[in-house]
Amino acid sequence: MDDKSLIDIALKQAKKTINIGLMVMIFCLFWFVQNQFYPNIFSPSPEVVSLDSTQALPDESMMFELDSTTIENGIHMPTGLIVDDGVQEVMTTCGACHSLDLVTQNRATEEGWKDIIVWMQETQGLWDLGDREKIIITYLGKNYAPENTGRRKNLDVVEWYNL
Amino acid sequence: MSKKESRRRFIGKSAMATLAALVGSKVVFAENFPDELEPVGLESNQQDEGIPGKSNQLKILNSKPWNAETPPHLLDYEVTPSHLMFVRNNGIPPADVDVQNWTLTIDGESVDKPMTFGIKELMNDFDHYSYNLTLECGGNGRSEFNPPAKGNQWSLGGVACTKWTGVRLKDVLNKVGIKDNAVYIGYYGADVHLSGDPDKVVISRGVPIKKALEDETLIAWAMNDKAIPVMNGYPLRLVCGGWPASVSGKWLTRISVRDREHDGPKMGGQSYRVPKFPVPPGTKVPDDQMKIIESMPVKSMITYPKTGAVIPKGGSFEVRGSAWAGDLKVSKMEISIDFGVSWTKCDLKDPVNRLAWQRWSTKVKLPEFGYYEIWARATDEKGIAQPMILPGWNPKGYLNNASHRIAVRQA
Repeated sequence: MDDKSLIDIALKQAKKTINIGLMVMIFCLFWFVQNQFYPNIFSPSPEVVSLDSTQALPDESMMFELDSTTIENGIHMPTGLIVDDGVQEVMTTCGACHSLDLVTQNRATEEGWKDIIVWMQETQGLWDLGDREKIIITYLGKNYAPENTGRRKNLDVVEWYNL
Repeated sequence: MSKKESRRRFIGKSAMATLAALVGSKVVFAENFPDELEPVGLESNQQDEGIPGKSNQLKILNSKPWNAETPPHLLDYEVTPSHLMFVRNNGIPPADVDVQNWTLTIDGESVDKPMTFGIKELMNDFDHYSYNLTLECGGNGRSEFNPPAKGNQWSLGGVACTKWTGVRLKDVLNKVGIKDNAVYIGYYGADVHLSGDPDKVVISRGVPIKKALEDETLIAWAMNDKAIPVMNGYPLRLVCGGWPASVSGKWLTRISVRDREHDGPKMGGQSYRVPKFPVPPGTKVPDDQMKIIESMPVKSMITYPKTGAVIPKGGSFEVRGSAWAGDLKVSKMEISIDFGVSWTKCDLKDPVNRLAWQRWSTKVKLPEFGYYEIWARATDEKGIAQPMILPGWNPKGYLNNASHRIAVRQA
C-alpha cells in the first residue's frame, strides 16, 4: 500500500466522520427547532378550546379586577384577555365603551392597532389616550398579533356525531 | 358595595328585570362616562341572561354592542325563525319604545315638504306588502381574512331570510312627493352611540333612489307576522333585501331623500366599502380609492347536516341548504365531495319572491370509509359562481362569499 492510497483512506475516513458529525448536528438543530417552535408538530392537534368570555362571572364587581381568583392559565377570565403588562390599561380604557370581546376576537400588528385607535378617535369619540396609548398598543401588538392563516384554514370540527 | 354596584346587581339578578332594563343604555352610561372610566358590569349580566328575544344557541361575538351570529345548521329553514336571526348592532337599541307615539319623518333636500307619520298612519294610509327578504351582514365571513380585518369576526351566520311586512317605501315617498334631483336616501334610527353621547348618530346609511323605489323595499313593522324583535329594529325598520344589511336601518325614525350620495356615519371612509380595483392582501387603500358596496354577491350555505356528521357505512343522506345572490336569482346549485374535482347539481327551488333566498337539496352517498368535505357552490343568473377561497381581499373584510364547507366521515 503506497502513501497515496493511505492518504485516500484517511481522507475517506475523515469525510465519513465529518458527515456523521454533520448529520448529528442537523438532527439536533431539527430537534431544537421542533421543540422550540413546533412542539406539537407530530402529535395530533388537540381539540380547540375556544375562550369564552361569556361565561358567568362570580361577581360582576370583579369584572376588571386582576387577582388569583380571576386569572386562569394566564387569562383574565371575566374578560378573556391575556394577562400581561398593559392588560389593566386595556381593560379599563377599551372596556369603557365596548365589550372586550371586540379586542380578543381581533388580530393586528402594532401599526394596525394604532390605526384602529385613530379610527375610534376620528369617528367614535375616543379620547386622547396620552401615555396609555403606547402601553396599550404594545400589549395588543404583542398578545393579539396576526397569524398567517393562508388562503383558507382547515375545517375545525368541534364535535363528531352520528347522523 | 357602592350604590352603582348594588343597582347593577339588582338589575342583573332581578327576575323582574324588564326588557327595557336589559337593553337600556341610560343605566349603563349616564354615570360612567366619561368622567369615570369605571368599567361597566351590566354587560356580563346581559350575557348571563342572553340576548333579549334571541336563542342562546346564537354565537355571541360581542356583548356591547350586541353582535351574534347563527350557526349554519340552525338556518335550515325557508323562513328563519325570529329568535334565530343574527344580531348586528352598532350602538345600543332604544329603551322604552313607545309604539303609539313612534314617528317616521321623511325629509331631505329632495322632498317637496317634510312629512311625519305615526305607525298607525302608515298602517292605515298605505297598502301592506309582505316579502321574504335575505339580509346579510356586509362583513359576514370576515373571520377568514388574512391579514385579518378589524371588526366583529363573523364566520358564516350573519345572514337570515325572514318575512317582512309593512308598506312600500315608494308609496310613502310618492305621497310626500320627491323632486327629480333625488339620488339617494339615508335613514336615521333611535339607537344610542356607545359613547353615550345622545347627539351622536350611530350609523346612518342608505341606498340609491332606484333601489329605494323597488317594490320590495319596505318600511316594516312586522317580522314573521309578529313585532320585529328588539334587536332587529323594533318597532320600525327600513328593509332593502339583497344589499348589506346595514342599509336596512333599524329603530327607524327618519328617512332623508338626498340630492347627493348620502353622507351619514358609516357611509364614507372605509366603512361598507371595498377597493375600486383588486389589491394584494394587506394593502392600505386610501379612502378615495374605495367604493360603496351595493348588491351582495352570490353565496350559499349548507344547513343540513351540521358539520361533523359520521355517516353509517353504505348510507346515503340528504344535503340541503340555502342560496342567494343579492339583487339576482341563483340559477344553479352544486356540491362537491372531492375537494372540487367533480360537482353534482342539486335541486334548487325558486325564491318565494324576489330577493328571498332559495332552498336546495340533494342526496349524497360517500364512496368508502374516510374523511370528506362537502363543498357548496351557487351560480347566479349571470353565470357568476362562488370562489373556493377567499375572494378579493379588502381592508375591512367584506364580501367573503367563498364556498361553504362541512366535514363528514364515512364510518
